[in-house]
Amino acid sequence: MAITRRQFMTYVGGSAAGAVVFQACGVPADELLVQAPVEMPEDLVTGLDNWYATLCRQCSTSEGIVVRVMEGRAKKVEGNIDYPINQGSHSARCEAGLQALYHPDRIRGPMVRVGERGSGQFREISWEDALGRLTEQLQNIQNDGNQSSVVMATDPVGGHLGGVVERFVSKYGGRHMGYEPMERTTVRRAIKHVFGQDTMPDFDIENSNVVLSFGADFLNTWGSPVRHARGYGEFRQGDRERGDFIHVDSRFSMTAANADKWVFVNPGTEGLLALSIAQVIIDEGLGDAAAAQALTNNGRFNLGAFAPDNVAGATGVSAERIHEVAVQFASHGPSVAIGGGSAGAHTNGFANLVAIYSLNQLVGSVNKPGGVILNPTSPFKDVPVTAGVDSFADWHRLAEEMRNGGVQVLMVRDADLFHGLPQATGFKGASFNVPLIVSFSGFIDDTTAMSDLVLPQHNSLEDWGSDIPDAGPGYQTVGFQQPVVRPFFEHRGEHLGTRNFGDTLMAVALGLEMDLELPGDTFQDVLKDGARQLFEENRGSVKAVTFEGFWNGLLQRGGWWDDSKKETHVFAASPLVEVPQASFSNRDFYLMPFATTGIGDGRGAALPWMQATPDPITSATWQTWVEINMHTAEELGISEGDVVRITSDAGSIEALAYPHPGVSPNVVAVPVGQGHIAGGRYAKDRGSNVYSILDASSDSTTGALAWAATKVDIVKTGEWKRVPKLENTVTEPPRDDERLIIEITPLDS
Amino acid sequence: MAENKWGMIVDIDKCIGCQACVVACQSENNIPINEEGHFNQRRAIEWIRIERYWEGEFPNVRARFVPVFCQQCDDAPCEPVCPVYATYHNSEGLNVQVYNRCIGTRFCANNCPYQARFFNFWEPEWPESLKNQLNPDVTVRSRGIMEKCTFCIQRIRRSTREAAKDGQEVEDGDRGMSPACVNACPTHALTFGNLDDSDSAISKQSKEELKQPAGSRPGGRGYHMLEHLGTHPNVVYLKKVDKTAEEHEVHG
Repeated sequence: MAITRRQFMTYVGGSAAGAVVFQACGVPADELLVQAPVEMPEDLVTGLDNWYATLCRQCSTSEGIVVRVMEGRAKKVEGNIDYPINQGSHSARCEAGLQALYHPDRIRGPMVRVGERGSGQFREISWEDALGRLTEQLQNIQNDGNQSSVVMATDPVGGHLGGVVERFVSKYGGRHMGYEPMERTTVRRAIKHVFGQDTMPDFDIENSNVVLSFGADFLNTWGSPVRHARGYGEFRQGDRERGDFIHVDSRFSMTAANADKWVFVNPGTEGLLALSIAQVIIDEGLGDAAAAQALTNNGRFNLGAFAPDNVAGATGVSAERIHEVAVQFASHGPSVAIGGGSAGAHTNGFANLVAIYSLNQLVGSVNKPGGVILNPTSPFKDVPVTAGVDSFADWHRLAEEMRNGGVQVLMVRDADLFHGLPQATGFKGASFNVPLIVSFSGFIDDTTAMSDLVLPQHNSLEDWGSDIPDAGPGYQTVGFQQPVVRPFFEHRGEHLGTRNFGDTLMAVALGLEMDLELPGDTFQDVLKDGARQLFEENRGSVKAVTFEGFWNGLLQRGGWWDDSKKETHVFAASPLVEVPQASFSNRDFYLMPFATTGIGDGRGAALPWMQATPDPITSATWQTWVEINMHTAEELGISEGDVVRITSDAGSIEALAYPHPGVSPNVVAVPVGQGHIAGGRYAKDRGSNVYSILDASSDSTTGALAWAATKVDIVKTGEWKRVPKLENTVTEPPRDDERLIIEITPLDS
Repeated sequence: MAENKWGMIVDIDKCIGCQACVVACQSENNIPINEEGHFNQRRAIEWIRIERYWEGEFPNVRARFVPVFCQQCDDAPCEPVCPVYATYHNSEGLNVQVYNRCIGTRFCANNCPYQARFFNFWEPEWPESLKNQLNPDVTVRSRGIMEKCTFCIQRIRRSTREAAKDGQEVEDGDRGMSPACVNACPTHALTFGNLDDSDSAISKQSKEELKQPAGSRPGGRGYHMLEHLGTHPNVVYLKKVDKTAEEHEVHG
């Protein structure tokens, strides 16, 4: 019988005679019985719960979530059914936000380095001391007139916090750089070229008849996977005819596994394939004639050279297959073409993606149901939708500058540069020429471990924030993030514990006597001012007479959206661009790095639930494995669990072999995100970091890291280690005609 | 009050294998952290798991996903073998596990054809701060205890009780009552509800899908996993649709 002490005190408090009080309170009689022998302990109800709406900040798409809070502790994350992006669903990564909040290795307060840099030895100091140290350094640099040697590196920080960061950096005269390990620079540029838009579009999979995707693992990790998956459910078995899904990829990903047809394409030839599909569509007059004229620049772009017969050899896709896909795509619309992931991560990534997205123009799918839905601009004057991301080329240049002593202070928040930037940039070595590295991260990632001063931020569930989803749902949407619990380290007093990143910057600005011209003294004021702008617009999902009422409504719903505010302007198609040949080094296998369901691009590595989430294809967990074709493995004498050395031009790592039937013989695939030198007890010294061995090659147009452009050799080391995987945890039932696990039916039998 | 018989529909044509259900279940039900060593010993605990089956090989390869969890069988093979009646059938069609009766013989797990039962080979351990996340509605199982999917019975209890306070019954499709996996699923591949309520979405859909002859759309995709064993599960699977598949192709 679980009556908490508090409940008991309440009951007894009403009267001296407990038994009488119980009845008087109207508590059902059966709850007061001693637990019946057959009653589950779960039958007992304890305490009251509250659900608060906020945003999940575990990956770059911020889903709207509601968090169950009991007695001041967050217990469970679920999707916010009101929020337009995810409409009630959520991903495995959202759930694990709880483990980030209660992680045993969270930073508990400001710290200063005491040992050698990178030794991980820190001493706790007070906030006043920490802010004083940073302010003093920045002041000295300012006095020397050397402000441009101060660099602020963050994750792509959007919403109002992004505004505060921009304001701080520009007022001071430093530089702000955005960092993503598997950056979306190329896809953004391609979207801009094809659709004339700065924001990412929404894909209306739900109403589409044919989905043709290239390289993007869009049901798993790419873009807005929960939103895509929701549409996919309808696409398959909604109140409509079942849609067709073709996935073109060099790796057999989870998305490929769900396609009706997986088309293997030689890495770096995705653009050729897309041009060939366009050629068939135009040649057979299946597409929009005006768009065909515009795309080929009135016939000046010679598509004839890309006829299926001419590209079959290079792409590894037969001419018949190309023809079949093109006809299906063009004649069973509405159809949508999606490109990203590895297709955009080659040295010709931009050209590939332009060719892919142009297919939407060709079949008239732009801003039409079942096609590509363009997103409108931000409802705020001063907060753009798209958070700035710098390309790999920019980071490479920064490393060079650091080496030459051109950077005095490197400030970092949630940008794990030491883990994500390839060895070939020499970033790690160059960092020793930076006199001061400051981290604002709330967690010891590899970069924070290399820093000198730490001013830790709150966990996102303890913090204020906002987000304009990019891609949005096709209309103006703003998510609001509110603290659902009090800061976990609040009990340590105001001199210790964590703080909001925006507040920290505002405190530093105050110390520098720098006026940021922000509406208020705290980040919450800035956010409220943003909300006031929406209130004054007097439209959208939250209606209220007073601002206080509006603000409460906003937080209850988890945001604001106006489904009447859509993008209506559609640019005419721009001409196609030549697809240059992708360049690779001369080694045996194409290396396909990929983000996993659990730890993503590495951001989830610290969380045990994410480490223990089986990869959908291999069911492997906790380690770095290498997927290799089972016959190739046999020829090389490699079997599951063999430790193999993977060597590129830039370096080598070790990984556990996992041969399977879905890999092409000329490809090996390795998950990213492990091999941290710090990252707490669950991530440190676990697996290998495949980012580190990537060649420093970049997209020739955008300068983005061409993370799929590395070739490697593999050698068996002779060691063996069991692959920690879910598969075989339970014995497989005998395979015979009588014992079906998955039954399959043709569409209309 | 109407009779309750809880059931689930799993549409494997919608399941993409994303593991959202798996992690949601771990969070809701205080499942111990599955450490690397637990996987290596094949003793990881996942009340709901995604099984992946290969078909063919490169380049004509397919991988198919199916979520597997306790099927809440009406004639559950796990029940008669328990010497201490720790596993029994309750009045709402659920196969329940009474933890404080269980003595850990593991007969039930041996007898479960779906391998849906998991044994606690170790005392579950969390670092002190992570314990703040534990769900107070769910018992933490100690070493030596068998556990399995409960259809989140704590949610059913809480929501029916709260509805009863207002003299109401829980509405079909109430998210407060739905198991954690159902709420998480981004493709809506899982549907939960009362099979005995003829108005509920699940009873209508399962009737439609289980009708004979099988295989035709709309409806007719339903089947029970390992039906021939006569366990009479309360979970209905809806067949994967594959245009290229021949009728009654066998997989698994």
